[in-house]
Amino acid sequence: MFYLCGFAILFGIWRQNAANKITKCLNKMKKFNNRFWFQLHGWVSLPVWVLFCFICLTGTISVISHEITWLVNPNARAENPQQLAPRPMDELIANLQQQHPTADVRGIGVREPYMAYTLRFVDKGVPFAIAYVNQYTGEVQEINNGQTFIGFMRSLHGWLLFPWQNGYSVGYYLVSAMGLLLLGSLITGLLVYKKFWRDFFRFRLRTRQGTRTFVNDLHRIAGIWSIWFILIMSLTGTWYLAQGIMGHQGIEIAPHPEPLAAAQVPYEHEYKERISLSQAMAVARQQYPDFQPGFIMMPEHHRDTYKLSGHGDFILFDKYSYKVQVNPWNGELVNKSAPEDMGVLQTLSHIADPLHYGYFAGLWSKAIWFIFGIFLTAMPIGGYVMWYLRVFKAAKRRRESEFIVQEAK
Amino acid sequence: MAKQIDTWWQRNKYLLSGLLLVLSAWYYYQSLNPSFPPALPASQVGQFQISVMPYNEQGPYQHDGQFVKDFLLIFKEGKISDIRQGYLNIGSSPLPLETLQQGDLGILHGSRHGQHVHALTHQQFTHEDKIWLTLELWNGEQLSSSWELPKLWK
Repeated sequence: MFYLCGFAILFGIWRQNAANKITKCLNKMKKFNNRFWFQLHGWVSLPVWVLFCFICLTGTISVISHEITWLVNPNARAENPQQLAPRPMDELIANLQQQHPTADVRGIGVREPYMAYTLRFVDKGVPFAIAYVNQYTGEVQEINNGQTFIGFMRSLHGWLLFPWQNGYSVGYYLVSAMGLLLLGSLITGLLVYKKFWRDFFRFRLRTRQGTRTFVNDLHRIAGIWSIWFILIMSLTGTWYLAQGIMGHQGIEIAPHPEPLAAAQVPYEHEYKERISLSQAMAVARQQYPDFQPGFIMMPEHHRDTYKLSGHGDFILFDKYSYKVQVNPWNGELVNKSAPEDMGVLQTLSHIADPLHYGYFAGLWSKAIWFIFGIFLTAMPIGGYVMWYLRVFKAAKRRRESEFIVQEAK
Repeated sequence: MAKQIDTWWQRNKYLLSGLLLVLSAWYYYQSLNPSFPPALPASQVGQFQISVMPYNEQGPYQHDGQFVKDFLLIFKEGKISDIRQGYLNIGSSPLPLETLQQGDLGILHGSRHGQHVHALTHQQFTHEDKIWLTLELWNGEQLSSSWELPKLWK
């Protein structure tokens, strides 16, 4: 009984202590006021704002890089005044090889209908080149060394041109980690400005109360109207980070395309010509009647297959979400996959790009992404200007007023 | 109001992340002016004269659970289209064709102007290791050749 009473007293003391601690903790939580969230907002964004701003700017330009190329380079356009259907890819390759008989086409890229097909090839003394071939007329309009504005902008935005070695790039990690910081900025920004929803119904841009107030209003308005956009960018950015880590660790998101067994490659006495690319395309269309090519890879060795990536009548998935492998020796289907066969990770990997670059609904979605990309680029500049004016201009004014008071004394 | 000491560091500390972009410019310059290690001496393998050029001087790296090292094979004589399949591995002896053709790592691939290969190897090179080339022609004939590893790698 004595022990029981003692235990009850000790339990009571412990419970009282625990209750006190919880109360203290809750009081501390209350101290996570606007000032705390405001400081945290600065900590997650100010130290990297220049880099982040650059990444936003290059991403914004990347969104419309195809259209900029279309505007400045007539050779990249696919003019089609007679409204012709695209010619078979074999014919386009033949047209290129007519001009460059030793060209070996390794892959064919299909962009928007107003952009020419890109035939990637190697030639004698040319380790890599791209030919712009008009898919409607079959004309070879340009051959370049593979350094294109589109490729440059995507690489600059995606990994800051840092080299890739052994499956990873430090630049890629730097850029994709910004997704987490952006998410942190969004959350802390909303915690600072808790009644943010009010700004959806009123427009308050004070232009006559000094630069700091004006920039503050701009930063706030841009941030609030961009909440959905920031959320998409931060989530897709974080996904890219996860994807990079998985790739680096050798975790496969999609199964590696299997080569043919050596026995499936004919010997001399049973040798026959490979099937054509058009025949392989017919196999893909047999499997998926709405198959539209996105990227075609030619076999790289005799055990390799035609690898055809494309898209169909589904929104949000990228241009490579249909995958078809065709045996070049007999035209048999080796493997195929479509969005309905994908797991969660594969689905994420195929919807991340259209959401990040905003090309899922053509020019309209690209235009919206471009405009909000400008807002997002401007926000870190606004944040830095606000910090600078708050900390240094205010300090200067304070020093000046203290000096005046001392002089007066 | 936060009190901040007005020094050069305090004014400019938040601009420093921009310095990383200097590396972008440097890496872009490097990508426009790539340099590769010298190719190993050409070797005669049947009707082919082949030289092997490593892409870099670094050790093997892991890919799909196996250690590999990348090379470019330059055919000075002979037609690449005469080869049914070819493989490169680094080790004390050539891997048998039956083993090599189980997967596609280590297989020669590319175009008629040059072949790339992720040569199968192990984590670290040893003094006994050589670079082994195994070719199979369309008639089933097998050819083999080897190169000594550069001394720096051992």
